[in-house]
Amino acid sequence: MNKSLLKNTLPALALLGLASCQPDLDAPAIEKGSADFSSYVAVGNSLTAGFQSGGLANSGINNSYPAILSRQFALAGGGGFVLPLFPDDRKDGSGYLKFFGLTSTGSPILLSPGQSTTVIPAGETAPRTITNNPATYQLAYTGNRLPAPPFGSGALELAPSFNPQPDNLGVPGISVLSADATAAIAVNPAFPVPVATLNGAARGYGNLNNYYQRILPAADRGTKDYVTFIGQKTPTFFTCWMGNNDVLTYATNGAVLDLANPFSGMTDTTSFGRGYRNIMRTISKNGTVAGAAANIPNVVNVPFFTSVRLADVIANFQRVNPAITTIFIREGSSTTARAATANDLFLLTAQAQFATGAGTSPTNPLPSQFVLDPAEATAIQTRTNQLNTIIARTARQNKVPLVDMNGFFNSIALRGLTINAATNNATLIRGNLFSLDGVHPTSRGYAVIANEFIRVINSNYSASIPQVNPNDYDAVLFP
Amino acid sequence: MNLKTLLFAGGALLSGTAASAGGYQVTLAGQKNNGMGGVGVGLSLDQAAMFYNPGALAMVKERGVQLGVNATLARQAFRAENGGTQRELQNTTTTPLNFYAGFGPAEGKFRAGIAVYTPFGSKLQYADAWEGRFALTQIDLKSIYVQPTFSYAITEQLSVGAGLMILALGSVNLQRDIPAQNAEGKFASIELDGKAERKLGFNAGVFFKPSSMLSVGISYRSKIDAVVNDGDVTFTNLSNTATPAFQATKFKATLPLPATTSIGLGIMPTEKLTFGFDVNYVQWSAYRNLEFQFNAPVNGATSSTSKRYYQDAVTLRLGGQYQVTDGLTVRAGGAYDNSPVKDGYVTPETPDADRITGTIGASYKFGENFSLDFSTQFVSLKKRTVTQQELLDNNTTDRVAGTYKTQVIVPGVGLNYTF
Repeated sequence: MNKSLLKNTLPALALLGLASCQPDLDAPAIEKGSADFSSYVAVGNSLTAGFQSGGLANSGINNSYPAILSRQFALAGGGGFVLPLFPDDRKDGSGYLKFFGLTSTGSPILLSPGQSTTVIPAGETAPRTITNNPATYQLAYTGNRLPAPPFGSGALELAPSFNPQPDNLGVPGISVLSADATAAIAVNPAFPVPVATLNGAARGYGNLNNYYQRILPAADRGTKDYVTFIGQKTPTFFTCWMGNNDVLTYATNGAVLDLANPFSGMTDTTSFGRGYRNIMRTISKNGTVAGAAANIPNVVNVPFFTSVRLADVIANFQRVNPAITTIFIREGSSTTARAATANDLFLLTAQAQFATGAGTSPTNPLPSQFVLDPAEATAIQTRTNQLNTIIARTARQNKVPLVDMNGFFNSIALRGLTINAATNNATLIRGNLFSLDGVHPTSRGYAVIANEFIRVINSNYSASIPQVNPNDYDAVLFP
Repeated sequence: MNLKTLLFAGGALLSGTAASAGGYQVTLAGQKNNGMGGVGVGLSLDQAAMFYNPGALAMVKERGVQLGVNATLARQAFRAENGGTQRELQNTTTTPLNFYAGFGPAEGKFRAGIAVYTPFGSKLQYADAWEGRFALTQIDLKSIYVQPTFSYAITEQLSVGAGLMILALGSVNLQRDIPAQNAEGKFASIELDGKAERKLGFNAGVFFKPSSMLSVGISYRSKIDAVVNDGDVTFTNLSNTATPAFQATKFKATLPLPATTSIGLGIMPTEKLTFGFDVNYVQWSAYRNLEFQFNAPVNGATSSTSKRYYQDAVTLRLGGQYQVTDGLTVRAGGAYDNSPVKDGYVTPETPDADRITGTIGASYKFGENFSLDFSTQFVSLKKRTVTQQELLDNNTTDRVAGTYKTQVIVPGVGLNYTF
């Protein structure tokens, strides 16, 4: 060996090594298992539609958990999944809340399109008016209204889905009771609406709910209930997440019935059972189509009920009037006010009431629809558990696995959920998972939900669908 | 060469990659040793004995000055547990240097010298938007020891030596994203940048050469805690609304640079053939937690603790050299590193695993005083997986679940001038 040989071989050896240096890890195998994702249909309510921050818009629809699932299913032989998008020039749909920062006392400033508020923003000393300019939205209202009562709700009509025949059939606001024109058979003693009225409203639900209206052919609006509508689909795989609004509508109204809405009570177990079984039999074609069914999370775990705390409310009042040590509320059918305790759950919407001075005296109590007392909260949880029992049994009877969203969200409320070193929990705004309305998830929250569906689907159908990285999906954006 | 000039001119270069030995150790202290699997405790090859075994320095025949430079070329693949694309490091080549000057009387019993080397370091830059971005986006950890050394031959067969290790330059730069998005949807990020305080430690060794065919050595390097007391905290892309929760401007942290005990054996069957065998025992268990103290809140907290729970680790090394001609010597060797990182505790800043290293090397002598060394190490880290369940079980969810696979190639060159 001589010098030039050395000169030539060593660099060559080094280069040889360099070229082969980048290691590779095999991508995990993707298997569809015993499921067939070629035609996927999603049945559900606002959570399925992709409702976020108090509204439905294309950004939410595109990040709905069924949309996320369909993109993952596509890796395992899944077919196209039609989303009920608004036209591009109306992409903001119903409009949604925007986050204008915090007040000097740390409350979030959340405004719907066109709404104004006068507050002292954080870091400033004088109050000023902040307006959410509606011109920043491309809304999808047509200018028409749905039929006036008693034939409809008179709500503003929304532009129909840009894509006919959508596969995401989520309808914000829909309950099991309002989805099935044959569900109600007995009068609910707590909310005596005639059976015929309930079933009639379910049949004409397309004239009541503009989110159902927009995915329903115009001719069907007054005549086709949701069960019949979803029965027109012939999926090879479905997800069903129904029942939340059978307790949530009542809970978010402070356990006060809304006489204008026949579906504002808690649904009784008998009617719920009939309705839910009909929905599940219809979409699973009597248990012959594979899918997954999710149950109802404990509604009082969401930030809508946990963000406004008594101690903070008193502290805020005391900045102006140190004499205030008690918040007065009026509860249930009681005509007298009582002092609120830490066990009373103030709704997120109570914030605006407190801003007007409500709650500071027995003669100006916080109205009942802005607070859940412990008895109401317990009644709602009890009913949620009863409905979840029906959901679990019905899923089993139709041979689909249960996605235990109740257990999943209980765990998040208790322990949080850290994913790839990002910590999430059930607090408003900073928790990442819940959008500005305090009830519906953010895109990141929907990604977490999609992953939970995938986990259950993988284990039940021996599939290996990859999960998504939730951190790739937006949480609350901070101005 | 002026030592101070070298330190400051070369300061930016003097860092290792997470690659050359277990944990964030860098064992590239001598170019001849690098070609022989990193052995050296039981040998007296050249001035690099000051690092490997200061006791052997008195037995090094020549006095001289030597400078070595290495390039650590690390490549890594990462796949997150929940799927996704393969992530690859952005190329971050580092160039750890070593410098030795040994003096002493030609026939005397003692040698003195000064050594400058990089015993610990790590530099990694992860792919943009990779899954572990909220744990780490990049790290650059540097340390330079300057070590005055003295060695004395008690008898023809037995010599001892010791060095005063000065942590002359230590720095850390850690960056990660913060899971708070601004109005444009961009994640904020935090950068921690600090210099370590000057600290002292020592190394010492004994070298025994009962015959021309056999030598043994034992050496010890003490632990130095690298302490950053006045590091800078910088946030970027932080929205106004999120700012009140992120007010820190300064941080304090301590990183142990652990003690190492080594024994080595040298066998010289002929004058031209040398074999070395070393065992290193590194007391990594000193690294329990990585703690940061902040002068104001970072996401509401003024301190953070991240579990490391390292365990002591052993490295086995074997190498040999053969003098082919008067001018040319060739070398080969290998090493097996036990990772100090336990299952379930792997972090992106040290994505460590047991590693197997193969090395080759050669020297060529130009005339009486001058020679060149070449070496190349091929380091392969075993595939290392950390699962989400392990992270949950160990309460270590501040890092990412997935599989890492790293390979490193370290070519190096050394210049020797002996007198």
